[in-house]
Amino acid sequence: MRTLPLLVALFLTTPALAVIRVDINSGTAQPLPVAVPAFATASAVATEAGTTAALGAQVASVIAADLASSGLFRPLDPAAFTTTVAPADVTAPQFAAWRTVAAQALITGNVTANPDGGITVGCYAYDVFSAEELARQGFVTTAANWRRAAHKCADLVYARLTGETGYFDSRIVYVSETGPKTHRIKRLAVMDQDGAGHRFLTNGQSLVLTPRFAPNQQTLTYMSFANNRPRVWLYTIGSGHQEAIGDFPNMSFAPRFSPDGASLVFSMSQNGNTDIYKMDIASRHLSRLTSGPGINTAPSFSPDGSKIVFESDRSGGQQIYTMNADGSGQSRISFGEGRAGTPVWSPRGDLIAFTRLGGGKFRIGVMRPDGGGERLLTNAYQDEGPTWSPNGRVILFFRTASGRGGRVDLHSVDLSGANERQIKTPLDASDPAWSPLLP
Amino acid sequence: MTERQSFAVVGLAHLVLLAILSLGLRSITPPLPAEDPTPVDVVNLADVPKIVHAPKPSKAAAPVKTVEATAPEPVPPAPKPEPAPTPEPTPIPKPEKPKPLPKAEPVEKPEPPKPAKAKTEKAKPAPQLLDAEALSTLLDKKLPKAKVRPLDTSALAKSIEKDLPKTARIDPRATATLIAAIRSQVAPCWNPPIGGADAKKMTVLLHLDINRDGSIIGRPGIVSQTGVTGGNADYARAFAETARRAVLRCAPLKLPPDLYDQWKAVEINFDPSEMG
Repeated sequence: MRTLPLLVALFLTTPALAVIRVDINSGTAQPLPVAVPAFATASAVATEAGTTAALGAQVASVIAADLASSGLFRPLDPAAFTTTVAPADVTAPQFAAWRTVAAQALITGNVTANPDGGITVGCYAYDVFSAEELARQGFVTTAANWRRAAHKCADLVYARLTGETGYFDSRIVYVSETGPKTHRIKRLAVMDQDGAGHRFLTNGQSLVLTPRFAPNQQTLTYMSFANNRPRVWLYTIGSGHQEAIGDFPNMSFAPRFSPDGASLVFSMSQNGNTDIYKMDIASRHLSRLTSGPGINTAPSFSPDGSKIVFESDRSGGQQIYTMNADGSGQSRISFGEGRAGTPVWSPRGDLIAFTRLGGGKFRIGVMRPDGGGERLLTNAYQDEGPTWSPNGRVILFFRTASGRGGRVDLHSVDLSGANERQIKTPLDASDPAWSPLLP
Repeated sequence: MTERQSFAVVGLAHLVLLAILSLGLRSITPPLPAEDPTPVDVVNLADVPKIVHAPKPSKAAAPVKTVEATAPEPVPPAPKPEPAPTPEPTPIPKPEKPKPLPKAEPVEKPEPPKPAKAKTEKAKPAPQLLDAEALSTLLDKKLPKAKVRPLDTSALAKSIEKDLPKTARIDPRATATLIAAIRSQVAPCWNPPIGGADAKKMTVLLHLDINRDGSIIGRPGIVSQTGVTGGNADYARAFAETARRAVLRCAPLKLPPDLYDQWKAVEINFDPSEMG
């Protein structure tokens, strides 16, 4: 036991040894290279959506597309690596092989057919250089629903590697448009965040505008011109049930749910004024939040429900204001050049996205809830109608191309103004709203 | 073409157009009632049977309700000559492993456990970082080496003696050169998380033990981290991992061998505050 004093001596002297200290103040802002090989399956079993082997490849490609779309990851071209993943490799990856293709993270997993006809997607994330498992999770669902299992896996990976919640397992509702400007047909449509699973919700007989998700994602609120009476409606996804929220004598529009889903805020016109009202959905009790001249509209709650941001032209042009949820404490927060409208509070609570109108352009911007720190994120001819990804990192909006008959479509941009992408839709698209993460 | 013929053609064209339009409209008109989203159930994946232990049947993806595996799966080093993946406790959430008992598994070890333990402790110059957990995993890892190189206490003593005076008189210019060399090699490999809510407000200080060939011994340990709040533990973990990944990815470091004593242990502070 002569080692003991030695050890003590070592410990005592260690702090005295000057260890070189290096400060690193910059790195490279590059997307993280990840390998997402086809998910393994022990034996290819037929399911209603193809064999588990085929699903394994499809799941991997959906995950890779999700990660790439964030701009934070660079999935390696599967052609670049020859490593196929055998079932045993899922839990004991060949890290050396993945290092040679410079993958820094490995997303792998398996697809297993369940006795009830469903599938289990096992999702594993590894750090290639430290040879460490970062996360694992299983997702059980129907075979036909495999895309959502893939999105959930991508969300798991995103959350683990960025430290923020993901946003891939979510949907987008928007207004699909077609036909000439004078006879525009507008229908509600919903699709997955990546454009898959597109479907129309209304038949286009009535003009619809500004669809918004309830927090439960099963209900939408929107404005419809049904029976030539422009009013706020509710739509229940699943049953397809539609109802007007009230038989108001005047136009009601620009609805949005409160964060708890219990009430709606919207605008209603009366005697030449347009004011913001709040309605308790269960009791249909209505309370007026703004009063006075001018147009007060486009209300959006803060995520904690304590405040509402809205636009008003009470000072002349359109500007952005905030108020408490009961209508008290109204104050203007947008100044800057030009006008500002369609504010939306970030789900993180720290920013408000809006449309900046000026200089012959509409641009998407963000500012703090106190109006400071304004940044414009886009610079095209006409970008408007922002909506936030569930994690508050990406903003979706619609863009009208210049010129007659310019196409209207959906684009996304991340909070840094980088990674602008188009979201493909079958027809023209406007007024998007991003759902919260699906349960 | 006579007038009559052209009328016929136009008429036919109209009919065709009408047919196409009505068919087209029919195909898009009916409102498809969207189904409720089919649920996706989240299940935990069972721990993988360790190869070291015994040939258990692998049921990796079985939807077993186990506690979330927050601890990284200790990848068994058994048949692999690979740069051994040392299972290290995840820095932020302490792994909840109950007892390091089963770790003493490598039965084939002829080496008495005590000296081996002493050896591993020696290898770790930051005693305050040692905890039983880390030690036991280290022990696990290091044992094979201990077999090859039995602890030579006199050599150890000699090396300590050798160290003391040397480090006491570090040439500042040599140090500056070393710092620059390390920075220039590690910085390009650092890919800090972009745009997180707390980006730029966080720093992490890593401790590296470096082999003579420039490779990193084990995994760099976190000495300290700033900017961690109650709400950003996930981000803090991801952030620290980007720093560690940078070091491991850039290894082996190319540094002057004659100055090894000065760079065999290094601390690197990662601070993205000045990044554009």
